[in-house]
Amino acid sequence: MTDQSAARERHVHAPEAVPLISMRNIHKKFGSLHALRGASIDVRAGEVVALVGDNGAGKSTMVKVMAGVHMATSGEYEFEGKPVRITSPTDANELGIQTVYQDLALCSNLDAVQNLFLGRELTGSGLFGRRIRRAECEVRAREVLQRMRLGNLSLTRPVGAMSGGQRQNIAIARSILWTPKVVILDEPTAALSHSAAEQVADLIRTLADQGLGIVVVSHDIHNFVVNATDRIEVMRLGANAASFRTGDVTGEQVVNAMVGGNEGVNLAG
Amino acid sequence: MAEAITSAPPPVRRRSVGDLLARDLRALPIVIGLVVLWIFFATQSDVFLTARNLSNLLVQSTVVGIMALGIMFVLLVKEIDLSVAAINGVTSVLMAKLIVEAGVSPWIAVPVAILIGAFIGSLSARWVTFVGVPSFVVTLGLGLALNGLQLILLPATARYSLNGTGLEQIALINIGGIWAWVVLAIGILCFAGLVLSEVASRSRAGLETAMMRAVVLPIAAATVFGVVVVSILAAHKGIPLVVLIFGILLGLGGYILKQTQFGLYLYAVGNNDEAARRAGVKVHRIKMAAFAIAGGVAALAGVIAASRTLGVGVFSGGGVGGGTLLLESIAAAVIGGVSLFGGRGSIHAALLGALVIGTVSNGLNLMGVENEIRLIVTGLLLVLAVSIDKLIEKATGQQSF
Repeated sequence: MTDQSAARERHVHAPEAVPLISMRNIHKKFGSLHALRGASIDVRAGEVVALVGDNGAGKSTMVKVMAGVHMATSGEYEFEGKPVRITSPTDANELGIQTVYQDLALCSNLDAVQNLFLGRELTGSGLFGRRIRRAECEVRAREVLQRMRLGNLSLTRPVGAMSGGQRQNIAIARSILWTPKVVILDEPTAALSHSAAEQVADLIRTLADQGLGIVVVSHDIHNFVVNATDRIEVMRLGANAASFRTGDVTGEQVVNAMVGGNEGVNLAG
Repeated sequence: MAEAITSAPPPVRRRSVGDLLARDLRALPIVIGLVVLWIFFATQSDVFLTARNLSNLLVQSTVVGIMALGIMFVLLVKEIDLSVAAINGVTSVLMAKLIVEAGVSPWIAVPVAILIGAFIGSLSARWVTFVGVPSFVVTLGLGLALNGLQLILLPATARYSLNGTGLEQIALINIGGIWAWVVLAIGILCFAGLVLSEVASRSRAGLETAMMRAVVLPIAAATVFGVVVVSILAAHKGIPLVVLIFGILLGLGGYILKQTQFGLYLYAVGNNDEAARRAGVKVHRIKMAAFAIAGGVAALAGVIAASRTLGVGVFSGGGVGGGTLLLESIAAAVIGGVSLFGGRGSIHAALLGALVIGTVSNGLNLMGVENEIRLIVTGLLLVLAVSIDKLIEKATGQQSF
């Protein structure tokens, strides 16, 4: 057993460690629509948690509450063991929670460095507004990409000229540029080829091994979820339907839990 | 094995022709087109390549060029400003009214005109971003309204003469002799200083610079280009002040677009405003600044136009509806490579586009061809330029940036 997988085992088997994020009994109402009905989730350091469920199961709402896009109607939200009140994505960012949305939010006409730093450029004073300190941005970007084992990515090509997998990686790199503790990924493999999806899965594992807590919303049950995550939380009708430890289940079992064919399965304890 | 791959330096990729055309040499087709036009007109008219005519051509291109430079900022953020010609007209008439009727010094009236132009631009941006009406509609309506205002501001004679007010000097002053070369030297020094400061900061950060591609070639190209232009101008009367103004604006614009955070945000907003907004960019402020720049620059172009025609009138700002001034300004930016869909275009677009339009107009004039033909040729060139751009995009399989 390698050190890395040993570390992973330790994280998975150490429920006594305080989770980075602990959300309990979360309810969310949009007018008369009751989207979340007492859903709960824990995210621990070094762990990849998959959040799966059918359309309308509430997983998107759940991560949006986590990311500060929506506020829960009721429920407890603890970050590193302390109750927090997150009212905006900025609040979440300040705590160290970053989100990579499915549309990636990249500018295809800008290069990797410009995209990584967009909105947070290192600047110095100059005539007519602040002058970008390009060289320092580039050094910093290269460091981050190398830490993510993405040292081969071109820093100067417009990202529009890159492949879907590379773009996904840049979007993830942007989220970890400012050393967050938790990264939420919304459908990171949805538009990717099989090999590109595997690269993204490797990257996610690399980040978890570096101690980040990762939450992944995904529909890609059979390839991505059952192979590349540590724990699978199944949601249905706005509440937790099942919880699995990855490796103990097959894709069919997860799908059964999603559609309600196998009530009460809870192998992760 | 994985370690070995990741620790290796990024491979040096040989850049394909398509890569080059899509990026560094994006301007090449338009430069070739310009050279072809010049060769054609040189064979048609003995006068075309004389220093005197080329100086005139450059001066004739400045108003459209400056307008194109301003409008480029708005196009970059994926908006359009159809009121720039009207802003040009109404602010120049207002300036003339201040000078002629109120006896205000041109030193005050000109900055006032520019500030009002910028203010009008920022107003249309407010309307676009807060009310949500498309900029096409807002600025179309605003342009018509400003045309009306321009007519109201004019006296019963429908014309203010600016002869003898000092303002006509803008179009008359030429920087000749040794001073032309001093101006060029200052320009090249500024450019070289900027390039070298970039190299210095890269080496401080421990990064290498491709000396040939990033330092030697750009400075050498700028020097050769500058020497050729100044030689031609010096052989006639020297550097016309209006050409110098255009040159300074091009330099400033290039610096803003390439080096500043604001410039980067223009490209980001134009490409994906939602991504920019989520990244914390104040999108409405960037758009407002872009419209304000277009308005202010259009007003400055109006001042220069007024100086060249020794007065203002109904014809200022291209006449009612903007006339050819509006269309040629937008066409110049687009011919030069600015995308109407936002986020793409470099500062040289304004120069190259205005030169193409100026060359067609000047050359056909020398050949004694009617104005009607000039419009037809300019229109077809616009379509041709954008078509070539699209064909390169298809052939190389690369989106142009």
